[in-house]
Amino acid sequence: MITQVENPILEIHDLTVSYDQNPVLWNVDLSLPAGKLIGILGPNGAGKSTLIKAIMGLISPTSGYIKVFDKPMNDVRSRISYVPQRESVDWNFPASVLDVVMMGTYGKLGLFRRPGKREKELAIKCLEQVGMSGFVGRQISELSGGQQQRVFIARALAQEADLYLMDEPFAGVDMATETAIFQLLQEMTASGKTVIVVHHDIHSAMNFFDWLIMLNLHLVASGPKELVMNEEMLRKTYGGKLNLLTRVTDLIRQKDFNPLKS
Amino acid sequence: MEDFVYFFTFQDPSIAWVVLGITLLGVGSAYVGTFSFLDKKALLGDAISHAVLPGICVGFILAGEKNPVYIVTGAFLSGALATFMSSWLNRNTKLSDDTIIATILSVFFGVGIVLLTALQKSGNPEVAGLNSFIFGNAIGISESDLMLYGGLSVLIILVLTLALKEFRLMVFDPEYGKAIGFPMKTISFLFNVLMILAVVIGIQAIGVVLMAALLITPGAAARFWTDRLNPLLILAAFFSVISGILGTYVSFVIPQMPTGPWVVVFLSFFALVSFLISPKSGIIFRYFARKKYLRKTHRDHLMKALYKASERGLPGLTIEEIYELYPFQKFETDYAISDLGKDKFITKNQQLISLNETGISDAMRIVRLHRLWELYLNESMNIAPDHVHDSAEQLEHLITPELEALLEQRLNYPTLDPHLETIPRDKK
Repeated sequence: MITQVENPILEIHDLTVSYDQNPVLWNVDLSLPAGKLIGILGPNGAGKSTLIKAIMGLISPTSGYIKVFDKPMNDVRSRISYVPQRESVDWNFPASVLDVVMMGTYGKLGLFRRPGKREKELAIKCLEQVGMSGFVGRQISELSGGQQQRVFIARALAQEADLYLMDEPFAGVDMATETAIFQLLQEMTASGKTVIVVHHDIHSAMNFFDWLIMLNLHLVASGPKELVMNEEMLRKTYGGKLNLLTRVTDLIRQKDFNPLKS
Repeated sequence: MEDFVYFFTFQDPSIAWVVLGITLLGVGSAYVGTFSFLDKKALLGDAISHAVLPGICVGFILAGEKNPVYIVTGAFLSGALATFMSSWLNRNTKLSDDTIIATILSVFFGVGIVLLTALQKSGNPEVAGLNSFIFGNAIGISESDLMLYGGLSVLIILVLTLALKEFRLMVFDPEYGKAIGFPMKTISFLFNVLMILAVVIGIQAIGVVLMAALLITPGAAARFWTDRLNPLLILAAFFSVISGILGTYVSFVIPQMPTGPWVVVFLSFFALVSFLISPKSGIIFRYFARKKYLRKTHRDHLMKALYKASERGLPGLTIEEIYELYPFQKFETDYAISDLGKDKFITKNQQLISLNETGISDAMRIVRLHRLWELYLNESMNIAPDHVHDSAEQLEHLITPELEALLEQRLNYPTLDPHLETIPRDKK
């Protein structure tokens, strides 16, 4: 159940990704339309984050390629914004909320130029958008999980990009905040931006996303929500690990070298 | 005293030079070290500083004398080799970080000592000066040494200041840096170069064995005082410079005294003081904060006891009756009673202690929070009524008015707790 589109904003061609020599994503092939709120669904260990990281070029694929805006990633980085998982950083780092959000402006500033007044104003505006304007000077270790998540989203907004990739931005966020952030994301897509979100709550996915990608080590489905959200697809996605694929993975891991590398 | 005045008035230009050198060194190494401390790579600095010893010896052998350019280059190259090997081993073996660091440190230092001993047997009279590289000798620095070490320090400080934003990103969120297209590999390579340079500039003044302390301790001590990067860097540099100058002073006053150990003594002093007295994270502060809290809880308990007595229709409690309730806390009880008296929460009528109007309202709130929490545990979390008391005993002191309002709302302004006692409220 994979819907391909004309003039995709993101095209993934036959992508296989491995950690060390463990394949964690097999032959993903999809294309995504612009201006949509897109959810990536799948059980734990299905390769959702891996897909996002591969798109961002943070891990290099074993095979396949990715094109964003019909170009290689490195040519269009300034148009793409990324929200990593909250746990990926040490929140005890000595920094204020504003310091972190200002990092969103680093990409456009380039190397060695310091953020100035314009960047500061932009950062504050982005904090307002996520309802965190009262926390500008707060030390980041004093924030709750949901607040940290919102700081990361504000940082992504400060990048002023056209495509947003968010890795579990709703982990540890309460219901009210989740709804508020979803509304913000919907406003963004309404104004022509594309937002791709790794998500694990099927219920809210039903309510908010336009397009869904379902993963379980391989691509189960990619298409408009109405087409792919059905019992069969959910069963294929969440119906336990794929026994055969897992056994092939084990076989590959037991080799002393990487047999997939040519 | 004479020495002190002589030293700190800088009448002797060579002392002024040395102090300037140690200041630059202190700022440079504290800067780099604070970043590596925040990056949780403190041990790498230790490994590098031990690993430069063989390079120093090889530099000496090639130059045939104590030529600072040869020695600094040798030290840099062997530090670089050690850094490269540790990251290579990290990538290509399954050995853990600490194993790799420990191995690199001891192997390189061992080779260094072997070379040093061999040189000492060679009979070259210049070799004597090499010993100062082990524990450092700031006073022995010549002017040409100083130009080199000082120049490198200035270079380190400049690069770090210029690329502050990049290094901040490298430590806090390198993946994100990569995502926005920053050359994170180059940045972290540059940082490693600065790290090795920071070790190299200290070999003459502090020595290879203790240089790691000058890298890490200032940042660690300063971290107790601030939560912001810029003040952290400045404070770390301050600790480092002061310790450096004091250490140099000691080795000036006492002949043959190495500088490194004394610098470390002063640095440790700053670290210890920070650990003890800094607000928020210092242990003394935390001790008193806890003590204050325990006093408050005891005071709350006494008010509760008085309130419960009034629920039973008693006019008040005698001091003996209160002692009986808390038999092992006589001292604390006396303190709380006098405290409550000062706040005019209680009145003493002959032998009877009872709450007055303001006291009742406060006591009521504590009892109310206790019973609300018990009910919440029982109703919303399905905990049996006989298991809820202990938790309520602790949370009654913590629940904020906002949380109280939320509890009331969730439980729909209940009248009875799970033990069928009234949940008291002020009459409107």
